[in-house]
Amino acid sequence: MESKTRLDVNGQLTLKELPYIIRWESDKCTRCGLCTAVCPQQAIEPAVIVQRLVSSEGPMPLPQTVRQVGQGIKQVTDIERYCVGCGVCSQVCPNDAIFPEYNAVNKFAFHKNQGGIPYKRGGRRNSTETSTLDQLKFTRVSMLTDPALDAGRHEFHIRTLLGRTLAPENMPLIIKDDDLGLDETVFIPPVREIFPIRIGGMSFGALSPNMWEGLAMGVAYLNEVEKIPVVMCTGEGGMPPRLLKSRFLKYFILQIASGYFGWDEIIHAIPHMKEDPAAIEIKYGQGAKPGDGGLLMAFKVLDLIAKIRGVPTKIDLASPPTHQTKYSIEEAVAKMLTSMSMAFDFRVPVYPKISGTKTATAVLNNLARNPFAAALTIDGDDGGTGAAYNVSLDKTGHPIASNLRECYLNLVKIGKQNELPLFAAGGVGKTGSLAANAAALIMLGASGVDCGKYIMQAAAGCLGDERNRCNLCNIGRCPKGITTQDPRLYRRLDPDKVAERVVDIFKAADTELKKIFAPMGRSTQLPIGMSDGLSVGDKAIAEQLGISYAC
Amino acid sequence: MYEISGIVLNQRVSSKDLEKRIQTAVKSGKRELKIFADGQHGIGGRLWPTSEDKKIIVDGTSGQRLGSMGMMGTKIIVNGSCSDDVGWLNCGAEITVLGDVCNGAHNAGAQGILYVQGGAGARCDTMTKFNPRFAPLQSWYFRDVGDSFAEFKAGGIAVVCGVEPRHPGNILGYRPCVGMVGGTIYFRGQADDHSTKDSRIENLTDQDWQWLTKNMQPYLEAIDRLSFLDELTKDRGDWQKIIALSPQERDDLGGNSLPMAKFRLEHWDQEVGKGGIVGDLLTDDRSILPYITFAEDRRFYPTWDNDRYQAPCTYNCPTDIPTQLRTHLIREGRLEEMLALVLEYSPLPATVCGQVCPSPCMDACSRSVFLKEPVEIGFLGGLSLDLPAPEKAPARPEKVAVIGGGPAGLAAAWKLALEGVKVTIFEREAELGGKIYLCIPEDRLPRNILNSELERFSSLGIEIKTNQTINADDFTTIKSEYDAVVLASGAHAPRMIPFPGYEEVIPGIVFLKALNNRQPMSMKDKRVVIIGAGNVGMDIAVEAYNLGAQSVIAVDIQAPASFGKEQQMAAARGTQILYPKFTDRYVKKEKKIYFKDGSFLDVDEVLISIGESPELDFLPEEVDRERGYLTIDEWGRTNQEKLYAVGDVTAPGLITHALGAGRHAAQAVLADFDGTTLSDRSTEMVDYDRIKGEYYERDRQKAGEDGDTEALRCLSCGTCRDCSTCEESCFRGAITRQETEDGGYQYVVDENLCIGCGFCAAVCPCGIWNMNPVE
Ligand SMILES: Cc1cc2nc3c(=O)[nH]c(=O)nc-3n(C[C@H](O)[C@H](O)[C@H](O)COP(=O)(O)OP(=O)(O)OC[C@H]3O[C@@H](n4cnc5c(N)ncnc54)[C@H](O)[C@@H]3O)c2cc1C
Ligand code: SF4
Ligand code: SF4
Ligand code: SF4
Ligand code: SF4
Ligand code: SF4
Repeated sequence: MESKTRLDVNGQLTLKELPYIIRWESDKCTRCGLCTAVCPQQAIEPAVIVQRLVSSEGPMPLPQTVRQVGQGIKQVTDIERYCVGCGVCSQVCPNDAIFPEYNAVNKFAFHKNQGGIPYKRGGRRNSTETSTLDQLKFTRVSMLTDPALDAGRHEFHIRTLLGRTLAPENMPLIIKDDDLGLDETVFIPPVREIFPIRIGGMSFGALSPNMWEGLAMGVAYLNEVEKIPVVMCTGEGGMPPRLLKSRFLKYFILQIASGYFGWDEIIHAIPHMKEDPAAIEIKYGQGAKPGDGGLLMAFKVLDLIAKIRGVPTKIDLASPPTHQTKYSIEEAVAKMLTSMSMAFDFRVPVYPKISGTKTATAVLNNLARNPFAAALTIDGDDGGTGAAYNVSLDKTGHPIASNLRECYLNLVKIGKQNELPLFAAGGVGKTGSLAANAAALIMLGASGVDCGKYIMQAAAGCLGDERNRCNLCNIGRCPKGITTQDPRLYRRLDPDKVAERVVDIFKAADTELKKIFAPMGRSTQLPIGMSDGLSVGDKAIAEQLGISYAC
Repeated sequence: MYEISGIVLNQRVSSKDLEKRIQTAVKSGKRELKIFADGQHGIGGRLWPTSEDKKIIVDGTSGQRLGSMGMMGTKIIVNGSCSDDVGWLNCGAEITVLGDVCNGAHNAGAQGILYVQGGAGARCDTMTKFNPRFAPLQSWYFRDVGDSFAEFKAGGIAVVCGVEPRHPGNILGYRPCVGMVGGTIYFRGQADDHSTKDSRIENLTDQDWQWLTKNMQPYLEAIDRLSFLDELTKDRGDWQKIIALSPQERDDLGGNSLPMAKFRLEHWDQEVGKGGIVGDLLTDDRSILPYITFAEDRRFYPTWDNDRYQAPCTYNCPTDIPTQLRTHLIREGRLEEMLALVLEYSPLPATVCGQVCPSPCMDACSRSVFLKEPVEIGFLGGLSLDLPAPEKAPARPEKVAVIGGGPAGLAAAWKLALEGVKVTIFEREAELGGKIYLCIPEDRLPRNILNSELERFSSLGIEIKTNQTINADDFTTIKSEYDAVVLASGAHAPRMIPFPGYEEVIPGIVFLKALNNRQPMSMKDKRVVIIGAGNVGMDIAVEAYNLGAQSVIAVDIQAPASFGKEQQMAAARGTQILYPKFTDRYVKKEKKIYFKDGSFLDVDEVLISIGESPELDFLPEEVDRERGYLTIDEWGRTNQEKLYAVGDVTAPGLITHALGAGRHAAQAVLADFDGTTLSDRSTEMVDYDRIKGEYYERDRQKAGEDGDTEALRCLSCGTCRDCSTCEESCFRGAITRQETEDGGYQYVVDENLCIGCGFCAAVCPCGIWNMNPVE
């Protein structure tokens, strides 16, 4: 009789389809189970392994069979449990018996939409091409021409201004008591002097408490111990009340986004604030997923997050793609800028953040006319995110270099380049060159840059890369404890160590910026828009950015 | 004293020509020169041979780089102040400046001495070197020095005496010692702006002081300030020195000056509160966890879920025969128990399991699914043939009537009787057994097996009333006399197709009944056509051959539903199956049967076997039915109180379905008597993936001939076989086997040793362990 049930192998994937293939060496493995205990994906599992050997010794066929049943580690081919290549298995394996190997010919994208659900992930655009930023070189080096500065010797002042600087003719100067003074009845926009590399908005919620606190503590340390005025944006979702009421608040940019999460808590806290925040960032868009909103999944909305955001626990927190209560650029910008300025008695710079787009100049022109617009941040398509559709991450958005350049040149055209600062984000430090990318953007016209993913990688060892390694940020299984609300995972991350690394990173970047700017003879003023210092070995890029071609 | 003037005929001599004249003079043996300078560069450098002393006195206005590349043996005295870069790249000359020096004095000097009577400009003593082949360079400044002093200093000694300084608050100028890696600066007075990243201030050691006091005198003599000797050497405490940090010290500085843990405690927590920014909201333990965790910090924990899932054999047996438990009992050597166990489920194990059941259990058996040959469950059924009936439970007051003595009725009666209920069976035929007796050919079921099991059945003391066709009146009486009635009258009305000539067709069931009643119809030399090629059709075909048929062709409207033994036996005898064939008419006198496709077959006898329907005329109309079958719930209850229905009267099925239904209905009858509720019968079948077939040789292990072999071949699906594979495999030694109070055993996990790796679950041959998420 024919069996009615067979173990179905039809429709199963082969290992070859998967983006990472586990290399496991039986002879090194002790079957200790550490790897299977930590794998965030359950991509590997212990297995019973049969080996059967038929051998024949002697001058005639005298077959003998040895059958051995052993145990080992096997990779599963279930697409939902695919190996993400995080390498945590190798990290814990005492014998170096296991590691994931990237499989360049994988067919992951063909399969990762089971159940009609497109692939969602965290991270940033998967692309191993060299970004425009990484192709730019600093080719103006003082050789007997510019005043030769020595980064090791000369004193540098790597600072930028966040906030609108009035043109001299617009300064309300008056003579007061025989001295030059300011007419205090006239609005003078608030300005902050900050380090030109900021930590971009990553919410408390997307990040674990340990990660967030580590970053925040590192920022405070940089300001107070190292005297490097680094600021950090909260991202959407508010800020722990204790921090709101602390003197450290001045190192933080509070973000308001389309979900308005945490803002009632912030407003309640205003009378208790010892300091003003560094700025208010109004998020209209995010480079990683332009035109798309955010969703903090219910499973991440545990008690802590709920309290900070001022919501009940275990509900989905949706930030729609657009600000639902605003209907046009004019209205959205004017309404938000004015009301946020007003909230802090016009003492705090307020600026919007948009995703890189062909229409960025339209937004910019609008801001240029609004006295309450303190800056504009443009987030390019290499920006990171905690969760997005892969299609948005990979295929939507505008690269930052030309977008920023276009905006800067537009400011030059209307004569406001020294008035309204531009901040650039999205892929800064993508391959680890934080300072170089920052300097390049500054020389293309940015007053400063934001970094996010870089900080996660450098400060907390985030495993994500542009070959889609790990990128589990959206499902709360971050093996490093960075983007998870699961205490078992985030307790792997030591906030002190994160903070220490933040300090390292900014101190190193400070030196590197000096190394780049010194040969150009810049020590006290950033070479914002000093594009004659840049070259690129690609004519089309050179032409588009209006910089020189060098080869 | 040989004099050379830098001005000839009121013309300034070029630096090049002046140099040439000095060199010529020295080469010609002049050893004392007096130069009157007019701003010429580089005076006094590069004078060889070094073995002979040369003295150069400079008057006038010396130019830049005086004494640059000065050589050992050269002594230069400048009467007055000097321009930039005095002693640039000095290689050994002693240069005395009786005045001030401008910027860059002794810049890049390597050997030699610079004595300055006054102060110095910016960036002096930068880049000085020390070459171990020679004595260290010395630079002496009487007053103070300008900004950026001793940048990148790599060697040599600088002395700044701090007499009448221009900036008393800071005699070494703004940011001295940037990039300093070697050498020493002795200074007297206040200076605290030195680069602490590169250098540090120390007090003088005995050795320092000795050197300083010893060398002070010649210096002061040279600059004509001997009167200051006492003051400058009177108190070591007036002096300090700056030395370069060692590479190690510099590396150590690279770290953050304030440890982060300290910052957190003293600044961060101090400001935001204890426990950090979420200390008020998050009171759980936030201490750092390793990647490998135990107890509630694990992500998964294992559980030993013995018997949580049903084995495929048991799960797929409609009679619920617990094969898995039986093989287990064999393995444990509890043979008697294993034999007796099956009788709790079926009165006819040898007849049904052993002979006529198509064994869905064996289809489902894990062995058959992934190792080829299933456990011979039929054989195991046959083993209980000679067993006596089990002990009955004490008698109960209720009496139950069972109408129909086929397998369904027998099973119900058996179960009820075993539970002490008084049972009466009403059977139309002369013998019990229903279709097993009436329809199943002897070839497939030796009569002695059925008889022997029916004897055992009768031994329970059930009242058996045969030759009792129950009609409507009887039914009403029975219904009123008994506490419950189980209807098990099967399906015996042959289904017919009303094509022309159908009246001449013999229903299969009639043919089979006649046969089994020892009054067979003759088929001698007949060409037989059977309409319906199911398994009953196959039984008929075989019997027709047995009765002498010349040929048998079974026709069907679709691919035949027959399978297994029946089909094989029929085919072996020569039965042909044709399909699709829709019968159009049967013309007996033409000896032809025509089909709708125009074809026909020559035929002597046509039989039909397309199923039977229940005969329900004796039942009151209010008993619910649908399409000719009685409707029941999963326990066999009809819509009428105390009336239960089981077997083919409710739906066509196999004997095993009838047996299972009979047993379940008996359970329902008992529960309804007692007013208890029945527990849910649906259980979960063990997932085949959980059974580790890898442990067993595939394809080669043939079905055995005895219970022991079969018991060993059984994979013990879902039930622990006590092999201790888990205990053995757990690297952490977290699993131990423990005896339980009831004489059994269990495997338990020490959660403080377990890391949740999943090995136990993955390697368990029987699929007992589960890994569960720790919430
Ligand atoms: C030819 C044939 C071969 C089969 N082979 C197999 C097989 O190999 N394996 C298998 O698992 N199944 C087989 N089946 C199916 C199997 O026989 C039935 O599923 C099973 O017999 C149903 O049992 P039952 O108790 O419901 O009905 P039955 O076996 O039909 O029993 C009903 C009993 O009730 C009696 N009865 C009917 N009306 C009355 C009345 N008014 N008063 C009193 N008594 C009455 C009948 O005489 C009969 O004895 C076969 C069926 C046929 C026809
Ligand atoms: S690389 Fe990461 S996802 Fe892949 S098997 Fe190892 S631990 Fe699991
Ligand atoms: S951690 Fe390494 S040694 Fe342990 S089971 Fe995994 S591969 Fe083997
Ligand atoms: S009755 Fe049939 S299905 Fe059940 S155990 Fe016996 S042979 Fe298997
Ligand atoms: S292997 Fe044993 S327990 Fe598993 S299905 Fe077969 S008989 Fe049943
Ligand atoms: S094998 Fe041991 S350590 Fe691993 S899950 Fe089982 S009991 Fe725990």
